[in-house]
Amino acid sequence: MIAMDTDKLIERLAENADPVRRLAAPWVRTAMWIAISAPYVALVVAMMAPRSDLQEKLSDFRFLLEQVAALSTGIAAATAAFISIVPGYDRRVALLPLAPLCVWLASLAEGCIQALVQGGAGLDLASDFVCIPAIALVGALPALAMALMLRRGAPLRPHISTALGGLAAAGLGNFGLRFCHPQDASVMVLVWQMGTVFLLTMLSAWAGRLILDWRPLLMNVRRNLRPG
Amino acid sequence: MRAYERLLKEITPKLRQIIRRHRQFFTAEEVEDLVQDVLLSLHAVRATFAAGRSFMPWLSTIAHNRLADSARRYYRGKANEVQVDELPVTFAEDPANVEVESYRDPGELANAIRGLPEGQRNAIEMLKLREMSLKEAAIASGTSVGALKVSIHRAVATLRKALIKE
Repeated sequence: MIAMDTDKLIERLAENADPVRRLAAPWVRTAMWIAISAPYVALVVAMMAPRSDLQEKLSDFRFLLEQVAALSTGIAAATAAFISIVPGYDRRVALLPLAPLCVWLASLAEGCIQALVQGGAGLDLASDFVCIPAIALVGALPALAMALMLRRGAPLRPHISTALGGLAAAGLGNFGLRFCHPQDASVMVLVWQMGTVFLLTMLSAWAGRLILDWRPLLMNVRRNLRPG
Repeated sequence: MRAYERLLKEITPKLRQIIRRHRQFFTAEEVEDLVQDVLLSLHAVRATFAAGRSFMPWLSTIAHNRLADSARRYYRGKANEVQVDELPVTFAEDPANVEVESYRDPGELANAIRGLPEGQRNAIEMLKLREMSLKEAAIASGTSVGALKVSIHRAVATLRKALIKE
């Protein structure tokens, strides 16, 4: 039902067009998000006590590759999330984190195959539920910052945007976790760590409309329309 | 005229065109409703427009996104509708099931509405005929919700008196 004449609405909108701070470019916002998140991740890792073999791990190619892939997935997902809330971009940008994610998965899969070839000793799957709260804890502030930053954009595809945001935070959370959690068997990392990343990504996707929705935005505009 | 107002007025026909092309079965009123929805949406997210980028892809993405949303709302609404030939009676008692029209002579009612003072007539038109909410009607008429409530109360009383007398 039409509330008022369109010309009148335009006049009211123009009267209420207070200057707004333009949203920075997506990659600039990604840099801002990292600047907010990195100190927190470093602090949580320091508080959880870094693993005793960290020095040794820093020269392990597989560990470094997986860490670079996890961090790249987080950064690519964050950039894609910030792009997804700006109208006019190609929607295929959501696929941006796929490349580093594939490298990450491939490295873990290759580790599993190697364990299988070596007799299957490294394929024992023990329960390690601590990964879920640990990744959630390391990724908590990055996730919160991401949600707040996404809400400044347009809720074009809420579920995709929040899934990307969740993947970014969980990727960063996993990157931090591996500096303090001595779990390196590929199958364990694949199931528990990667599993947690996917679980958190799915949860974020589910919360899409709770975080990003047109309705509160439009209600806010309507509320602020000064009667002419 | 402000630049922003000029811009919104210039893009409105384009928006109507986009909406009509995608919703050929929409009435003029429904098209206008969606045009206003897109205008409100782009106003809400105007901070996302970057000066160096093209305007039309930005506008078109918002318009198509709101069109898709309206389609979702439409089908959700349809899914919750139940088609019945005749509404079932609510109570067995006779007074609850009087099968007469509310007004026997719609022409008489229209005349009585036309005879109302302007404020009361506007209130009846917006709140009863166009079924706008009090808040929407208050924004459209530039009056307060309280004033509208008074107007509608007086209008109904005047109409009742006029119709009973006639």
